[in-house]
Amino acid sequence: MSGMLREELEGLAEAGYEFGFSTELDTDIAPPGLTEDTVRLIAAKKNEPDWLLEWRLAAFEAWQQMDEPDWAKLDISPIDYQAISYWAAPTKKPQLDSLDEVDPDIRDMFDKLGIPLHEQKMLSNVAVDAIVDSVSVTTTFKETLAEAGVIFCSFSEAVRDYPDLVREHLGSVVPVRDNFFAALNSAVFSDGSFCYVPKGVRCPMELSTYFRINSENTGQFERTLIVAEDDSHVSYLEGCTAPQRDENQLHAAVVELVAKDRAEIKYSTVQNWYPGDENGVGGIYNFVTKRGRALEDAKISWTQVETGSAITWKYPSVILQGDRSVGEFYSVALSSKVQQADTGTKMVHIGSDTTSSIVSKGISAGRGQNTYRGLVKMLRSAENARNYTQCDSLLLGSDCGAHTVPYIEVKNPTAQVEHEASTSTVGEDQLYYSRQRGLSEEDAMAMIVNGFCREVFNELPMEFAVEAQRLLSVSLEGSVG
Amino acid sequence: MLEVTNLNASIDGNRILNGIDLSVGSGEVHAVMGPNGSGKSTFAHVLAGREGYEVTGSVALDGADLLEMEPEERAAAGLFLGFQYPVEIPGVNNMYFLRTALNSVRRARGEDEISAREFLAVAREAMALVEMKPDFLERSVNAGFSGGEKKRNEILQMAVMQPRLAVLDETDSGLDIDALRVVASGVEALRGPDRSMIVITHYQRLLEHIRPDVVHVLVDGRIVESGDHTLALHLEEHGYRDFGEQDGAGQRLSGV
Amino acid sequence: MTTATGTPITTRTDGNDPAGAMPLPTRRDEAWRYAPHRDLARLAFGPAPQAVDVPADVLAGIPQLGGPLVVMVNGVVDSELSQLESLPAGLTVHPGGGADGGDSRLAPHTELDAAAPVDAYDALNRSLSGNGVSVLVDAGEQIDPPIHVAHLLHPGDAPNAVCGRVRITLGEASAATVVETHVSVGDLAGGASVRTSIVLEADATLEHLVLQDLSAQQMLLARIEVNQHPRSRLRARSFNLGGRYGRIASQVDLVGEGAEADLAGLYSGSGDQVLDQQPTVVHRAPGCTSRQAYRGVLDDSSTGVFSGGIDVRPGADGTDARQSNDNLLLSRQAEVDTQPRLEILADDIACQHGATVGQLDPTALFYLRTRGMTEDEAGRVLVNAFADQVVEEVRHDAVRDWLSRRLGHDHD
Repeated sequence: MSGMLREELEGLAEAGYEFGFSTELDTDIAPPGLTEDTVRLIAAKKNEPDWLLEWRLAAFEAWQQMDEPDWAKLDISPIDYQAISYWAAPTKKPQLDSLDEVDPDIRDMFDKLGIPLHEQKMLSNVAVDAIVDSVSVTTTFKETLAEAGVIFCSFSEAVRDYPDLVREHLGSVVPVRDNFFAALNSAVFSDGSFCYVPKGVRCPMELSTYFRINSENTGQFERTLIVAEDDSHVSYLEGCTAPQRDENQLHAAVVELVAKDRAEIKYSTVQNWYPGDENGVGGIYNFVTKRGRALEDAKISWTQVETGSAITWKYPSVILQGDRSVGEFYSVALSSKVQQADTGTKMVHIGSDTTSSIVSKGISAGRGQNTYRGLVKMLRSAENARNYTQCDSLLLGSDCGAHTVPYIEVKNPTAQVEHEASTSTVGEDQLYYSRQRGLSEEDAMAMIVNGFCREVFNELPMEFAVEAQRLLSVSLEGSVG
Repeated sequence: MLEVTNLNASIDGNRILNGIDLSVGSGEVHAVMGPNGSGKSTFAHVLAGREGYEVTGSVALDGADLLEMEPEERAAAGLFLGFQYPVEIPGVNNMYFLRTALNSVRRARGEDEISAREFLAVAREAMALVEMKPDFLERSVNAGFSGGEKKRNEILQMAVMQPRLAVLDETDSGLDIDALRVVASGVEALRGPDRSMIVITHYQRLLEHIRPDVVHVLVDGRIVESGDHTLALHLEEHGYRDFGEQDGAGQRLSGV
Repeated sequence: MTTATGTPITTRTDGNDPAGAMPLPTRRDEAWRYAPHRDLARLAFGPAPQAVDVPADVLAGIPQLGGPLVVMVNGVVDSELSQLESLPAGLTVHPGGGADGGDSRLAPHTELDAAAPVDAYDALNRSLSGNGVSVLVDAGEQIDPPIHVAHLLHPGDAPNAVCGRVRITLGEASAATVVETHVSVGDLAGGASVRTSIVLEADATLEHLVLQDLSAQQMLLARIEVNQHPRSRLRARSFNLGGRYGRIASQVDLVGEGAEADLAGLYSGSGDQVLDQQPTVVHRAPGCTSRQAYRGVLDDSSTGVFSGGIDVRPGADGTDARQSNDNLLLSRQAEVDTQPRLEILADDIACQHGATVGQLDPTALFYLRTRGMTEDEAGRVLVNAFADQVVEEVRHDAVRDWLSRRLGHDHD
């Protein structure tokens, strides 16, 4: 590779983070530290029922016995769990009767993020739940959804208004002891989104949650639970941003999906938490447990575009429990600057004739380290199960790394697994060809990288696909010329 | 329109072009013929600005110094290179690629960008010219194209870009008789008083469809003979041996 | 240190006990994730027992290669059984036991020994195996007949596990073939940790074959370390067939520019065997090429494990590395665990890997049956065709014939 091109590639890491502003909000913050009292405080602040407090305390007890996982290819400076505040909420959190009552500062903040909370201004087919720090501040289009029988609200409201639904499904896919971060989340989760789609209902619009970490020295621990009853269908989008700060901030979320017979859940994420600066100062530590359970003929599809966070530890998974259930994972993960991503999926095939497909595109630039880690497991019962995995890595520069660590475990002879992977660099001939047609080197690079991710972007709803492409280009913007 | 003066190029210390002088007037079509290894493709890539060559001499397009420009600036100046081996870019939609390229060039020239609707009209016309099906534009750039489709795609891009100077590098190689006819008639249709072309080829057969105004013979990185189209016929009959031997490099000329 | 069952791991009594510092691997250790830990814990390592009778049929059962033969019984060279007279010019074989006289060509191996052991079995090996046998080829020499190192495992009651050591150096621009076979004397439970280190100087070419065919209660823990200097070429083929647990772990370090490593292997399991391949190729220099192609056939309740790594270190530009692993599951109780890993820290590289797991192609089975074969016959033909892709690449007739007989494909 020519010296000049190399220089430009290495310059690609130096992109600006456009969501780095923070907003002055009056916030109620608990003092740092995590004890049983912290857990009780959170439950009390939220007026939670006893069963939920008990559940939290059990999780807290389990968490205390557990160690941080160390198997990922991540270099993490030690996290002091006692230095984090586990509760932060904008104090003006009102009982909202209408969206017009949303705190104007919060509204402005979301406007700045490009997510207007006024229904009249919004894309007509997306309902939004906006979460700042730990608390859901507003949910749009509630009435329209209610007409279709769809429940879409903050987790806190769900606990208050639909306790039985929550109690039945909470922890049913990700048990409290599942892993260190899931246990932590279960103990201290503050809010999140809840969605319930009744039998036979096709959710009339895209649902989306926008997460925003605003306060300093706080962790964010939200919890999302989506239940799709038999023959229902829902598409869910999730977006994340955070202010630019010099400290690392912890985000440990849990997402549980339950797709009952013949139901379909499509879950898309565009994660753009603050990644830290060029020297690796600051940035979000993103430790997320996402898992879905698919019953007979159900389908769960995860699509993720991960461009942010200093550390990403995330494996959206599907338990293919029902016969003929389908699991999909489409991922673009970008590590530039000094970002580290260890991400992938687990497809656990239990039912017969289950199928899963995995398409992973990893991009490493700057001093970024990108690892795909995936498990495909075919149990003895997984008669005629199928998996296809395609796992490609792109290296932009010589100081970054791309790693592929798949685990394939097959215990049924009728199951078929195919795994393909490649690692390569952007072809100089592709750049030259594009430039001969008049494209600048930077545009050509962005176009080629976007092309590399095409299969994944195709899975995103239209508005998100555009956003994802833009994010990728911004993240790769460099000092060319 | 194009003035090439004493153009020299080497790669890793190996001299490939040895003082090329060439003058192409507006609306003229020049053929550059030569045996394998004579420097034909290098000449095309040096004009287009591929990295990796040490270049001396001068190349002026409409008076502007091409050698000072980046590849994309040369494209904006009106240079188009039809690649011998068009590059595959997986995942990048052909139409999107072409529209972005066209708009980059227009921006560089201070022109307005073309709207999606206008572009589609232009693209349709160009597709008819190279007899391509509509789904062609929806596929990824050259990915999985047959040899003939790739070459047709080059001509399609040329028709959309409307260059001042088109350099076609072995556009006829690897084409069957039908594809050759399509490509040649496409090129022929794009001839005009404001557009010049340099057609680089090993064989004479393309020149049966595109009659050049001038034919140059390139041997060992130098133009050793120039003449009218009958020179191509002479080469077809006698090969490059005449020119090679007079240059003392007869053994190296093969494949004729 | 004690094992899970309370049996002491016997080590040398001279106090040199590096293993003492290392716990036995567990399921949590990536490289040992699928190993039969309960059975491994029953191994009690110790020095080779004295004087063992080797029945003649054991030696008759290994491939007869007609070249130099080193027979190691429980890790110790048996000079009576070995055939080391009239060695070809340019070939030196030191039978170990301090008899190598400080041959300077062994210095690179001493350097390899200085590296920290990778696990407890490696540590035990260093402590117990002594010098082992050394095979040295002078610069520029081409040794035609294959050099055969036959490891005979004859476990006692306690200790029931021994260590063996082989050192191979090929001088500049030399060429040779080395075949290592692992077979059993008797069928008592036991095991061996065998470490082979190989140094290929510039432009040297080595073909290295490993045939593992231990009896049903025995375990082989083989570790092969290779250092390849500029433009050297390695062609390694492993056949992991016998034993309760057969583990062949190779680490090939491409330290010189333009080196090539071509690794392939076949593992074919039945009963409750666990057959484990752990090849890793580390690209440390620019312009090197590596290939890994492993195939597994698993019947009954056997388990096949493949954990292959391509590791491209900073500066190893121009690396061209490929890896494939294909598996056939023939039974409802059989299992395959495959992990094809890529670790890339350089740019301007092209790396690919692929893995498949499946059963016999029903269309092909049906086709053969329409031509009159029984289902069993058709299955055998297809399995043999699958395995033969590795077997047929073996250049030595005697080894290939032995493999065909062993795998039951006497089709010629």
